[in-house]
Amino acid sequence: MIERKERKPYWRHTKWQMLASFLPFLAVMIVLPLYAEELNRSRFLGFPLGYFLAAHGFFVIALVTVASYVNRQNAIDHWHGAHEDT
Amino acid sequence: MSFSARGRMVNPRLGTYFGIFASLFAALFLLTLISEQLALSDRILRLALFAGPLILYAVIGGSVATQEPLGYFAAGRRVPAGYTGLILAMCAMGSTFLVAGTGAFFFIGFDALVLMIGGLAGFVFMAMMLAPFYRKFGAYTVPSYLGRRFESKGLRLAAAMVAAVPTLLVLSAELGLGASVAVRLTGFSHSALVLILAGAVALAVAPGGKRGFTWCGVAQAIATLLALCIVAATVAVIVTSLPVPQLTHGPLVRNLVRNEVNQGLQLLAAWPLQFDLPGEGLHALAKPYTSPFGAIGTVGFTIGGLMIAAGVASAPWLLPRVAATPGVYEARKSLGWATVFFGLTMLTVTSVAVFMREYVLELVMSERIGALPVWLTEVVGAGLASFDQNASGFTFDSLRFDRDGVLFALPIAAGLPHVFGYFLMTGMIGAAMLGASATSVSLAAILSEDVVQGLSWNEEANRNRVWLARCFVVIAVTCGGTLTLLAPTDPLRLVLWAFALTGASLFPVLGLSVWWKRLTKTGALTGMLAGFGTAALAIFASESGALPIPSAIAGILGLPVATAIAMLVSSFVRETSRHDLEVVRDIRVPGGEIIYDREMRRLQLKANVRS
Repeated sequence: MIERKERKPYWRHTKWQMLASFLPFLAVMIVLPLYAEELNRSRFLGFPLGYFLAAHGFFVIALVTVASYVNRQNAIDHWHGAHEDT
Repeated sequence: MSFSARGRMVNPRLGTYFGIFASLFAALFLLTLISEQLALSDRILRLALFAGPLILYAVIGGSVATQEPLGYFAAGRRVPAGYTGLILAMCAMGSTFLVAGTGAFFFIGFDALVLMIGGLAGFVFMAMMLAPFYRKFGAYTVPSYLGRRFESKGLRLAAAMVAAVPTLLVLSAELGLGASVAVRLTGFSHSALVLILAGAVALAVAPGGKRGFTWCGVAQAIATLLALCIVAATVAVIVTSLPVPQLTHGPLVRNLVRNEVNQGLQLLAAWPLQFDLPGEGLHALAKPYTSPFGAIGTVGFTIGGLMIAAGVASAPWLLPRVAATPGVYEARKSLGWATVFFGLTMLTVTSVAVFMREYVLELVMSERIGALPVWLTEVVGAGLASFDQNASGFTFDSLRFDRDGVLFALPIAAGLPHVFGYFLMTGMIGAAMLGASATSVSLAAILSEDVVQGLSWNEEANRNRVWLARCFVVIAVTCGGTLTLLAPTDPLRLVLWAFALTGASLFPVLGLSVWWKRLTKTGALTGMLAGFGTAALAIFASESGALPIPSAIAGILGLPVATAIAMLVSSFVRETSRHDLEVVRDIRVPGGEIIYDREMRRLQLKANVRS
């Protein structure tokens, strides 16, 4: 169980972690498709790069974002003693 | 409630069970494939592939029947992360993103990526903002969560109304699309098949509620993935010699880039707010595959992506799934799995669209001599496409394809035995049933828990509660079926409206209820209703032509409105109680007791003392 005085630092830590994972992801999500036209001129594995990044690339980015967020957040929980008691 | 230790136990034989199911399903496919070669009648094969899986699902649904409310409403809170992720991903897609989505990718190529980007972002949003906290709270439905979080029956009722509308829309979309796929498979009439599918859904999920839906749903998801992957991989082997369609369709895409423009496909730049996903029916190819923003404009793409993301993240038929995981960590992990399954499946869908486009391009680049190619005759004969006989040759204009038939045209175009096509249809019917089960179970839980019993927090005797929910499963499915029959609408559009409505009403309130502790119940109530009202008005206005924004994305106007009103009202009407603050403090910490159970026990004690 988390100690009372740990709650504030824990939540501050959690909030920053969320923003640090969320904002870059949001930026990529909005900006990446807008540059697809220019990126399409080069290619990768036979795919036009813009299309490849928006499809396969975005999938990998989403996966890495979730995985790293889950990993970091679990570490934060343990650091502050807020983890589940299993 | 003595389930905390026992309830966390995950059944160690799950892998075996679903291994058996997958082999049964593969065996059914091989058997029908052999029978086809042995010249068994086509009609029997189709019926076997239609009825066989339905019986399997009903058997699974019946064998996991339960009387316990915890089992009925939260699958016993013991569904491991991988399975939860699989169901989340497949429910978010339903058959709509698979069948209609393939058509969308086929016609507008790059622009249809808005579906994939939106869905993936939705899972990322859900993982960071909502899922772990919702799991810590442990409520069975989204309205119960809001009602308990703010201790307000009015908010609970209002949230139930707001959540029921999009859920019903998706239910009707899935039943309608599932039935139109089943029409292709069996040849029965559309309305009869809507009834059959609705009945099959009720039969599969009514006995076991969320528990039945979970294990039936995993089976349906496996069936869908197997069907899609077998067909896509077989075609990939034929075309590219490697069975990994997701990675190997690159050279084909390059071929498309090189030749489509020469053959007369031009990119007309879209108006920034444009959002033209292809509707139902026959269309001709309109833009080169990889060029962005020909059918959907730049602003429309961004807004559409955010809208789908907000909708997926807060969907009342998806979010309660994470409450069925054994713990907060598993809930976080399940979203990772959801991302994996969603991404891989959508990449397979794009590859199917590219293969199909490649066949069409080949046709257009060939000279028309004599009779039509065999596959085109068959595709036209099956009603999946049309060809203008008066045209001088094959052009992109003279060939028209049915949006919801592109997926099923692929095995024919590749010259595979008919059973591949039938098998694909079986899989897609499974996906439609999965989407319909998810929505009908959630709708039943919302109606029975939050509307009928919403005025009291006292839980009735366990038996009644579960039976009531069972009745509401039947009622929900009936409503969905009736809506499909009386007001048939394009399923893709229905699903987008549903995402817009949830994204505009529930997403801001759910997000703020965790991340902003000064949100009050009046703020949440007004914000939610304002968001819902704005979204519904915007959709109606744009359908009637009063608002110059496409109706698919107009609903998202409600999101900023809801957020602003919720925050403004909360800042003016300060009424945060000690209880609210305590609850929000507990939601934020993964460790400790499940809040919903604790609250229910507290209320029970209070009631006992009073009586």
